[in-house]
Amino acid sequence: MRLVWKLLRRHISLPQLAGFFLANLLGMLIVLLSLQFYRDVKPVFSAEDGFIRPDYLILSKRISVLNTIGLGSVSTFSQKELDELQAQPFTKRVGAFTASRYKVACSMGINGVARFGTEMFFESVPDAFVDVDLKKWHFREGDDVVPIILPRTYLAIYNFGFAQSQNLPKISEGIVGMVEMTISMRGNGRNEFIKGRVIGFSTRLNTILVPESFIRWSNERYAPDADAEPSRIILEVKNPADDAIVSYINEHGYELEDDKLDAGRMTFFLRLVSGIVMLVGLLISLLSFYILMLSIYLLVEKNSEKMRTLLLIGYSPARVALPYQLLTIGINAAVLLLAVIALFCLRSQYMQMLQGVFPQMQDGSIVPAILLGLALFVIVSIANAIVVRRRINQIWNNKD
Amino acid sequence: MNSITLDNTLPQVFLQRTDIQSDIWRRQVSFQRGETYLVEAQSGIGKSSLCSFIIGYRHDFDGHILFDGRDSRQLRTPDWIELRQRHISMLFQELRLFPELTAMENVEIKNSLTHHKTAKEIAQWFEALGIADKMDAPVRLMSFGQQQRVAMIRALVQPFDFLLADEPISHLDDENSAMMADIMTEEAQRQGAGIIITSIGKHMALPYDKTFSL
Repeated sequence: MRLVWKLLRRHISLPQLAGFFLANLLGMLIVLLSLQFYRDVKPVFSAEDGFIRPDYLILSKRISVLNTIGLGSVSTFSQKELDELQAQPFTKRVGAFTASRYKVACSMGINGVARFGTEMFFESVPDAFVDVDLKKWHFREGDDVVPIILPRTYLAIYNFGFAQSQNLPKISEGIVGMVEMTISMRGNGRNEFIKGRVIGFSTRLNTILVPESFIRWSNERYAPDADAEPSRIILEVKNPADDAIVSYINEHGYELEDDKLDAGRMTFFLRLVSGIVMLVGLLISLLSFYILMLSIYLLVEKNSEKMRTLLLIGYSPARVALPYQLLTIGINAAVLLLAVIALFCLRSQYMQMLQGVFPQMQDGSIVPAILLGLALFVIVSIANAIVVRRRINQIWNNKD
Repeated sequence: MNSITLDNTLPQVFLQRTDIQSDIWRRQVSFQRGETYLVEAQSGIGKSSLCSFIIGYRHDFDGHILFDGRDSRQLRTPDWIELRQRHISMLFQELRLFPELTAMENVEIKNSLTHHKTAKEIAQWFEALGIADKMDAPVRLMSFGQQQRVAMIRALVQPFDFLLADEPISHLDDENSAMMADIMTEEAQRQGAGIIITSIGKHMALPYDKTFSL
């Protein structure tokens, strides 16, 4: 083997192999990076909402100018409308949003220092619609802490607007327990305080959600006389793709809150762009493969007489092909290794940048990218090996 | 392998010719293991073609070549490799040495395939043929006569039933030629092998069992 290699390494063109090496490295890196970037960034756009199942629909009535000046149809749902909705064949369950009917103010702080306060409101939906551990999601009269789910946008407002300008630490969802809320409730001649604990953030609910039992208790305590119809309802349907739902909603002038749509579009474009970039990478890989094949052909051409002699003195085509096969496999393995190392470096760079913008972002797995790299390595190596072997077979058959 | 039989064999380039007078072409000829043959020919009568057909390098002939009765056209790649490694050793007229290797490496590259001889045995042959001092010299710097001796040693470091030598002594003086003949017949006898030697004039002085005129 040593002597065969000594013979056949003659005429190996280093510039050609270096060209192949760099081109293949570039192609491989682009392919792996596009996949990895897609997997890392995708969760930002398609974050699953842990609290409201995706097949729940949230309905409201369309607000028009007429509503605003007090004319036109009311913007709340009457009991009759709720009953009618419940009676529809596509409906499984209907729940109403119940709003607080007293004044709520809240001040928030971190580590014991109150930072900002605001007036706000609470809403609740029936507990059955909230997909969270019931141990965390309960309130009984006498408790001094109430669990709260905030819209995820609030977190973004805090992180990018407030924390940045006030030099406060950014908060990720993981350390949300650090947020302290003091809630003051006024009404019915009382002014009382209670602590709030944020247990999570929701993308789908544009409201400040508390347990239903808390709303019932507090409304009775601070606003016993007021009564209001719900302006939003939550709906569980048997089949979200049912056309009857859309036509029913349109017929009755309801509106579907669908914040998932934008995320869906973004994910689509992300996938499209990643796909195009990956294609470019594959194309470069393909071209580099072509370079290697040309180089090997030239090499075999220049060494064909030696190879013929080796075959004539008893070497098998497999043994004659082996050095060049090992050479290409070695180069491919080096390319894979370097590409993966480069991927790690580049990824740590962009993840640092992204995590500055999206603190709640979690790393995607790097395993699929490595698997893809391995698959490319295997495919390219097998293709190389086959081409080399076929060329040697041509020499064996005197067809060169 | 005990016999190589040529059955009505003719190179395809001679198909149009009607004036062929030959002991081998278009005849039934059999070479037996253990015997020594001389094939004499003039240039351009297909001497090297005959060797190429037997070693499986070329297949452009009419008729059949049979190894122990088995048609050479039925042989697959692994059969030819087996044949070249263990049954027929060839000493090429154009030598087919590797110029970038030393004399010893040229022999080793074959011996590493067959593991037939020890380094010591090979060195003894180099000694006997008077090129011991050239063992580690690049073969391209040696004279053609010296290269012929290296090629001979390479042909002998394998088991064989037939040794096919295509003009083995064209560039050797009588002394070296005799020495080469000794070594060749000694190894062939040790293995019980047949020897087929081709020549266009000067040929080794051996006790030939049969001489053919191609």
